[in-house]
Formats: sequence, C-alpha cells, structure tokens
Amino acid sequence: MSYLELLKLALPETILVATAFFILVADRSTGGLDRRLRFRIGGLIASVGCALAAGWIAVTPAHANVMNGLLVIDPLTRLVKAGILILTILTVLLSSDSDFTEHVGEYMALILFAAVGMMFLVSAEDILMIFVSLELTSLSLYILTAFNKRNIKSAEAALKYFLFGGMAAAFTLFGLSLVYGLSGSTNLHQIAAALAGKGLDPLLVVAVVMTIVGFGFKVAAVPFHLWAPDAYEGAPAPSAAFIASGSKVASFFIFAKLLMIGFAGVEGSGAWRSFVSGWIPTVAVIAGASMILGNLAAIVQGSVRRLLAYSAIAHAGYALLGIAANNEDGVASLLYYVLTYGLTTVGAFGVIAVVENRTGGDTMSHFAGLSRRAPLISFCMFVFLLSLAGIPPLAGFFGKFYLFAAAVKGGENLGLLWLVILAIATSAVSLYYYLKVLKQIYVAAPETNEPVQVPILQQIVLGLIAAAVVILGCVPAVVVDALKTAIQAAGH
Amino acid sequence: MSWIVKNLWLIPALPVLAAGLSALAPQRCRKFSAGLAIGSMIGAFLLSLCAFANVLGHHGHGEEARQVFNVTWFQFAEGSAGALQLGWIVDPLTTVMLVMVTFVGTLIFIYSVGYMAHDQNFTRFFTFLALFAGGMLGVVIANSLLLLFISWEIVGLTSYLLIGFWYHKPTAAAAAKKAFITTRIGDVAFLLGMVWLYSQTGTLLFYTEEGTGCMQQAALTKLVAQTTGVGMAVSTAIGLLIFFGAVGKSGQVPLHVWLPDAMEGPTPVSALIHAATMVAAGVFLVARVYPLMSVVPEGSTATPVALQVVTWIGAITAIFAASIAVAQNDIKRILAYSTVSQLGYMMMGLGVGGVAVAMFHLITHAFFKALLFMGAGSVIHGCHEEQDIRRMGGVKKYMPITFITYAIGMLALAGFPVLFSGFWSKDEILHAAHGWPVSHVPFYLGIAGALLTAFYMTRQVVLVFFGSYRGGHDHNHSRSVSKSHGKKAESSHSASEPHESPLVMTAPLMILAAFAILLGFIGTPTWPWFQTFLGTHHEGGGFTKDVVSLMIISSAIVFAGLGLGWWFYGRKPIAKADQPDVLETLRPDIYKVLENKYWIDELYEKSVIAFNAWFAKVCDFLDTWIWSGLVHLVSYVVIGFSWVNRVIDEYVVNLGFDQGCKRISLGGGFFSRLQDGRIQGYLRAIGIALVLLVIWLIWGGSGS
Repeated sequence: MSYLELLKLALPETILVATAFFILVADRSTGGLDRRLRFRIGGLIASVGCALAAGWIAVTPAHANVMNGLLVIDPLTRLVKAGILILTILTVLLSSDSDFTEHVGEYMALILFAAVGMMFLVSAEDILMIFVSLELTSLSLYILTAFNKRNIKSAEAALKYFLFGGMAAAFTLFGLSLVYGLSGSTNLHQIAAALAGKGLDPLLVVAVVMTIVGFGFKVAAVPFHLWAPDAYEGAPAPSAAFIASGSKVASFFIFAKLLMIGFAGVEGSGAWRSFVSGWIPTVAVIAGASMILGNLAAIVQGSVRRLLAYSAIAHAGYALLGIAANNEDGVASLLYYVLTYGLTTVGAFGVIAVVENRTGGDTMSHFAGLSRRAPLISFCMFVFLLSLAGIPPLAGFFGKFYLFAAAVKGGENLGLLWLVILAIATSAVSLYYYLKVLKQIYVAAPETNEPVQVPILQQIVLGLIAAAVVILGCVPAVVVDALKTAIQAAGH
Repeated sequence: MSWIVKNLWLIPALPVLAAGLSALAPQRCRKFSAGLAIGSMIGAFLLSLCAFANVLGHHGHGEEARQVFNVTWFQFAEGSAGALQLGWIVDPLTTVMLVMVTFVGTLIFIYSVGYMAHDQNFTRFFTFLALFAGGMLGVVIANSLLLLFISWEIVGLTSYLLIGFWYHKPTAAAAAKKAFITTRIGDVAFLLGMVWLYSQTGTLLFYTEEGTGCMQQAALTKLVAQTTGVGMAVSTAIGLLIFFGAVGKSGQVPLHVWLPDAMEGPTPVSALIHAATMVAAGVFLVARVYPLMSVVPEGSTATPVALQVVTWIGAITAIFAASIAVAQNDIKRILAYSTVSQLGYMMMGLGVGGVAVAMFHLITHAFFKALLFMGAGSVIHGCHEEQDIRRMGGVKKYMPITFITYAIGMLALAGFPVLFSGFWSKDEILHAAHGWPVSHVPFYLGIAGALLTAFYMTRQVVLVFFGSYRGGHDHNHSRSVSKSHGKKAESSHSASEPHESPLVMTAPLMILAAFAILLGFIGTPTWPWFQTFLGTHHEGGGFTKDVVSLMIISSAIVFAGLGLGWWFYGRKPIAKADQPDVLETLRPDIYKVLENKYWIDELYEKSVIAFNAWFAKVCDFLDTWIWSGLVHLVSYVVIGFSWVNRVIDEYVVNLGFDQGCKRISLGGGFFSRLQDGRIQGYLRAIGIALVLLVIWLIWGGSGS
C-alpha cells in the first residue's frame, strides 16, 4: 500500500484537516471584522470543506481495508460518514449567528477536527485506532465545550466533561488492553475469532464492562451520563448541538460495531428472567436505566438545555435497544434513529441558540409566547420536539417504531419485550415534558410582543431541517433501504 | 381494426365530458354549457357517421359486419376467467341506433335552447341532458352486459333528475320518484338475469373474436341445454329476467305507469327525450340479447318461450295504451300513452319478426315521435304553458309551421299509407304478426291498436289545431302560473293569443318532419335495404299478393280511424273547454274506464303500495317496539356498566394514577438531585457502576 493510495482513501478526512488549517489562516487575516461576520465566513468555508469531503466520499472505492482494519471503507461507513458531515455542516451553519468568542478560526477548526475524529472512528475496525479516534473526538469536544470563556458555566462544564471523559477513557483503555491480552489481537474480527468458544471468564467480564463504560460515557447512558446535563447546559449552543448529534452518531455506530463484531461470541442474552451474562444484558440494563432516569429527570428541569440533556439520555436508552437487538434490523434502526435524532437535536439547539441570543437565556420563561414573536422557528421547534416525543408522522415516530420492532424481533421468544414495554411506557412520559416546552411557546403569554429577529440563514436552515424531519417521517423507506443495502453490502 | 372501432368510446365520452365540464361551470355560463352540450352531441354524431360508414363498407363487401373491441377493466383473480372485461361493438344495430340517438339528440338539444331559454337553471339542465345522452350512447355501444347495465343506470339516474327537474313542484318530484322506483323494479330483474348469465357463462361480453361471448353459439348451446327447476330452459329464464328490465325501461305493461306521469313532469323536453330515446333502450336491450331470447334446442322448430312472452306483452301493451290514449286530455299524456303503445308494437315486432322489424319501427318512431313531442312542446309554449287540449283549438292559424309539421308526425304515427314512414314500419310488424305460427291474436290486437291510434291522433289534432281558440279569455291562470315557474312571465298583451315559436324550435321540427316522411323508403318491401342491413334474412320479394292485401287492410283500418275521429270531433268542433267529450256522451261507462287508465294506478295504490305501506308499518312497529327495545336494553346495560366503570375510574384508577404521577414527579426530583454537580461523586459513580455490573454479570453467569 503506497502512501498515495492511503491518502486517496483518507482524502475526505484530509480535506477536512486542510480546511481546518485554511480557516485558521483565513481567520487570522480577517481579525478586524465583526465576530458574527467572521463566524459566517468561517462557517461557510467549513461547510464547503465538509461538502467537498462528502463529495469525495461518493467517489471513493466502495470497499477498502487499510492495514488490517485501521481504515475500513465500505458502503455503510461511507453512509455514516456522509451523515456526520451533513450534521457538521448544519452545526457550523447554525453557529454563524454566535459571538461568544474571539477565536472563531480555532473554534471552526476544532469542530472540523472533531469531525475528522468521528470519521476515523467510524472507519476503524481496530481497537487501537478506535481509541485514538475516540480521543481525538473527545479532546476536541472538551475544548469546544469550554470555548465560551466569558461564561463560568462553560468552563465548569468543560472541566467536568474532561475529568469524567478522562476517567472513562482510562477505563476503556484498560478494558481494551485486557481484551488484547485475552485475544492477542487488536482487530475486531480476530478478537472475535480468538474469544470464540472460550466462554465468559471473569477477566473477560471485566474487559467487556470496562469497554462498555467508555462508550456508555460517549453516548451518555446511565450511569455514565452525569457529565451530560452540565455540558449541555454550559457549552456554547453549537458545541452542545455537535456533542448531541455528530458525536452520538459516530459513537453509537462504533459501539455497535465493537460489540457485535468484536464480542460476537459473548453476547449472552437479555431475555426477561432467563438472562445469560454477556454484553447484551449489560446493554439492556443500561438502556432501561437510561430510559427511566432520563425521562423522569427531564420532567423537573427548568432549563430547556438541561431538559434536552436528560431527553438525550433517554434517547440513548432507546437507541441501545437497537444494539441489544443484535441483528441487521437492529443496526439499521439504530442508525436511522441516531441520524434522525441528530438532525432533530441540531435543529432544537439551533432554535435554543437563537432564543438565547435574543432573549438572554434558555429557561422555560424565555420561551414564553415565542410563537407570537417568531412564528417560523416556533413551528420548527414544534416539529423537533414532537419528533423527539415520537409523534407520527415525524421522523422520531418511525425511528422509535422501527427500533422497537427490531428489538422485539431481536431476542429469541420475544425476550426483549420487557425492555420494549419499558421504552414505550417511558416515551409516553416523555411527551409530558416536551409539551411543557411547547406550551410555553404556544400558550403562555410573552413578556413583550416585539418580534424576535431571526437571521435569514438560520430561518432557512431550521426550516430545511424541519422539512427533512417531516419528510423522513413520511417516507422513511428512502433512508432505511439505503441503510439496509449498505449493511448487506458491508457484510456485517 | 379501424380507428373508429378502437375509439368508439369517444362517442359516449364526449357528452359525459361536456356534462362534467358544465357541471363545474357557474350557473351563469349558459351559452358555454349549451354550446358544450350541443357541440359534444354534434361531435358524437359525426363519429357515429364514421362508424356507420365503416359498417356500410363492411356490409357492402359482404364481410362480417360485427367488430368488437374489448378491454380488461380490472383483474380480480388470475387468468382470463378472473378478468372483468368491458368492450364496445360496431355492428349495424349499434350504428343505426348511434346515428339515430345522436341526430335526434342534437335536434333536441338545439330545441331545448329555445324551450328552456327563460329557466334559471339552464346550465344544470344541459348538464343533465348531456349526461343523459352519454348514458344512452353507452347503452348503445356496449359490448358487455355490465357496461350496458352501468350506462342503463346512468340513464335511469338522469331520467330521475330530468323528470324532477322542477323539483319544487310536488307533482314533478312525485313523478321522478315514481319513474325511478318503477324502473328500478325492472332493473332488479335485469341485474338478477345478468348475474345468472355471468354465473353460467363466466362472461358478460356479448361477442368476442374467439367466440366465447355470451351471445355466441358456444354459450347459447350450453344455456339452452340446461333447465331450471320449473322445466324452463336457463336461456329462457335469463332472457325473461332481462326482458323484465326492458319492460320497466320501455314502459310495457305492467310497469308502464311511470311513463305518463313522467310527462306530467315539468319539462316537455325531458319528456321528449324519454319518449324518443330512453324508452327505446328497452327495445334495444331486447334486440341486443335477441340471440339469447331466440335460441332453441337443436332440432326444435318451436317458437321460443321468451319470444312468445315478448310478443304477448307487446301486443297487450299496444292495444292497452292506445285505448287509454283515447280518453286523455293532456297533450303530452296522449303522446306518452301513444309512445307506450308504439313500444308495444316494437316488442311485438321483436317477438314475431326479429330484430330488423322492430328496429325499423324504432327508428322511424323515434323521428316522428320526437317530432310530435317537439310540436307539442311548441304548442304548449305558444299557448302559454297550456297542456289541456280542450283549452286549445284553432291553433293552426297562429302556428302554421308547427301545424304542418305536427300533421306530418301525426300521419306518420297513424300510419297513413305510402307517404309516411310509420306506415311502412308498422306494416312490417303487422305482416310479421300475421305470419306468426303460434297465434293470430297479436295480429288482431295490433290491427285494433292501429285503429285506435289513428282515432286518438285525429282527435288530438282536431281539438288542438281546428275549430276556434278556447283558451283566451276564460283562461284559468292558476294552472299556467304553476307551470311557468322559473320562466319569465310572458308580456300580458299577448297572453290571450297563441304565437308561433322561434326558429330555434321550429327548425328541428322541419328537419324531423322531412325524416318522418323519407325514412320509410329505406325499408319498403321492394327495397328492404334496412332489413338486410341489419343482417336478418328477409324474404320480402316485393309486393306479393299477401303483402298487398295486408297493406290494403291496414290502410283501410287507418282510414277508418281517421274518419271516425273526424266524424266525432271534426264535424262540429266543441265550442267550450268544459264541454263533455263526444265519446263521454256516447258511452260514459267506457270513457270513464279509459279516462282513469283502467284504474291501474289505483290498483297498484291498493295492492302493491298498500302492501308496502302495511309492511312499512309492520317494520316500523318491529323497529319501535322490538328492535328498539333490544337496543334500549343493550344501551341501559352499557350505561350501567359505564357507570360502574366511572366509579372504578374515579375512585380506584384515577386515584392510583394521580399518586403514580406524583411519584413519577418525585422520582424525577430525586434523580435530578443525584446530579449534585460534584465531580467527585460523578467519578465515584463510574467506579460503582463498573463494580456492580461486573459482579452482576459474573454472579449471573455462574448462576445460569
């Protein structure tokens, strides 16, 4: 394998890195301009870079495997990478109204670096590469969280996120090293082959659980979720949006891949009253805990960001059903779910960013009567929140439906039915707190009737996202079919 | 297969499209909708001429003149048996009807522009009219009994709409209902026959190129070979059921009652379109399924039972309706009974002589009857909506064109020898009836009917056109006012005098009058072109002795009728409207019977309708006391049950739910208090979770 060929295969990532450097340089030369303008320019360049990368992904070969799993390209990873790039573009476009920092170039570059980390993460089938990419992503996100230096909450959130993340990463690294020790390989397929038939000895249990800890942290599942509310609340809105969308997509994907491929022999069973220890019952328990805790804690939140954070924990619980299902439909439904969830969340944070910028906060009362002051984005928020609650015909409904269906099919003899019932019950609870926000927006009287000025770009992007949420909910087959063909082509 | 065969569907589609468009047009687009309807009819007429020319071409070359085009409508099961096919047919019968219907229809449409000029629902009228024409043409082109039935029902619907067009008039609304329900009785039989036919033959197509149609030899042989429970051949039973549908539509005894009432209905134009075209649909239907009616077991030479029934019904209707017409005073009602009577002739013609004979009379009758109805309309229009012939008189001098054309129509209907078409076509039927092997009674009934026809037409013409005008000053306005609703009141200075109708109404009259004379010559015994065109072998070897003697007899009969009419009414014209009829003074008992139409309506009132009302009462009783009691019982049980439910709900479930909700909220608070913001606690949580999970998994793993 020549370096030229490697460069060609890694060109999308390379383009992003180059774009990041270009933004750094370009931002230097525009230092005197208004911050919002600089955000706009930077966002534009970053979007173009992402679009180029996405375009290149479309023309790269469909199958490639560099150095035994360090960089794997197949239709599925291409699809997920494209999804991550789209979410990145939406994030940077929505950030163009911000003015929280002087260091616009650095901010944009870090978003792109995080995106690069996610893309490598998606492509990796080697635990070492997985860990390195994970760290690249995480470190970028820690800094992004801290970027609003004038806000003490931002710094606090970043510190908590970092400490928590560092600890989780330590566990993961320890767990992965145990895995290497047990199997003698870093490639997922070879690990699976080596572990096959050995049974579940306590050391392997520790290894599996430790590995799960790290990813549980990334996807904010209970009990590794504790960083999430603080980070969502304190981070600048675009950072929070990115943590909640792109990062989730990549993490869930690699989480599923690691468990389903790497630990293929030790899945166990999560069936009610007849569980067999392995990673499925662990994931099932984490999922159940996440759904309960996330949904219940969200009820009492006064800050919309914290509310979304707990809702994200709950959604992580739902999404874990797809992993626990451990079949092809599970993967397809998981990816459909996290992609549409990411889309919806980016939109919701976009609305929050606008409201914060114009009204100065994100508590419920800041949203009061928003429909009379900014009807369009209010309607977009309406669509996003109802989609999160899973109301037909929005994307969230089909996503949940598909996930639950996959989970029901997943365990033998409807073994995961208990988890699905729990999911349906808790998602009924979730409607309550989403409607609380919508009630503020549509029913409560505003303090002033002065219209909220929403930049035209924000309006367009939010409107497009809302339209996409509706369309994906109405014709989910477009994405689901693409995912299924890609999964079959990838041969998982 | 030529272009016209493939696209024959355009003929009914054009008027239907016009109907659809003018249904969407606002009320004030009068010219648009009339123009559209007339234009579509002209288009249909031109296409019909194409089809006619096509058949003529085939006919001239001595080829098989029948061409069909079938399409699969929908597939309800696998294979050809599961395909429901519709289709259309181009054969002499269809094309002759097509040309007649579109031509007469066009004239009627044009005439309506004048007749309906003052009606505020002009647009709606043309919508119905066009839809009607579309349905009628659908009946004509259908090569599938199902398509025929669908179109047939469209015709029934539009007939209902047109009869009840002035629905604010109670008589019109009642007449519409009567027409609809009466014809529906026939349609039920028709539908049964159709279903039966389908179950026997598996197809409703009349003809296919492969010979699998239900009117083709294979199917017919199968049908005639089977017998029903009462010993009748299946073909006969099905044929009779279908014939009963035709009885309803064509106003044959005993379902004739609706047709005169439809004339009582408000629009002479719609009355006309019924008389001239729709009622002919019944005759056409029988002609279409004639192979089914006439099929006999191989080797048998007996006259098929179905045709005997057709003949008898036709003959009885012919004399029966003609006798009633003698004692009617409403100008349209007389024509209506006359139509029923003539339809009886056609049915008889079908029974005794076959398709060609009946169709010949159908075509000639359509023209002169349309002429008569339009003439009557013109008279009514000119006499300020007066319909009672006793209140007319002397109209000849006010309306010369109408008089001349009407006289031509009347002579044609009466069968005045040689000159008029009605003579030739009626003579054909009588000739065939004379040679009928089963019985001679239909022939005598026909002769008697012809006498009556000549008589009552003379009576009508004399009363309307001769003598002196009796409407004038003692004009009773209450009647005409109710008739002229929706029309602009005529200016008062001319209210007393009749006036000639506008050209848009008289022009169609003149055209039709020409045809009423000329059409007869395409079917004379020396040159039976029409009969050979319709494809039946016609033995007519010119004016044989037999034919000539029959002609002389029937001429004598016609002259007798005319003379008798003149003797009674023309000699000394009645001077006042309320003077009793000559016949009434002569034989009051008979006159009373005829005037009251043999009390058939009353009989139905007392029997069928009374039974129906009684049955309805019984049902009502059952409904109120028995079914309703049951329903109430059930509802009380449900109410009681729901009361119990409510109690449980309020005191058990809701209480629990409220507490549950409270607990959920508390739980939320508890969980969010876990989030105390201390990072040490967070990190401890990871460690604890790890340890717990590992312990659980190991313990669980060893435990299982």
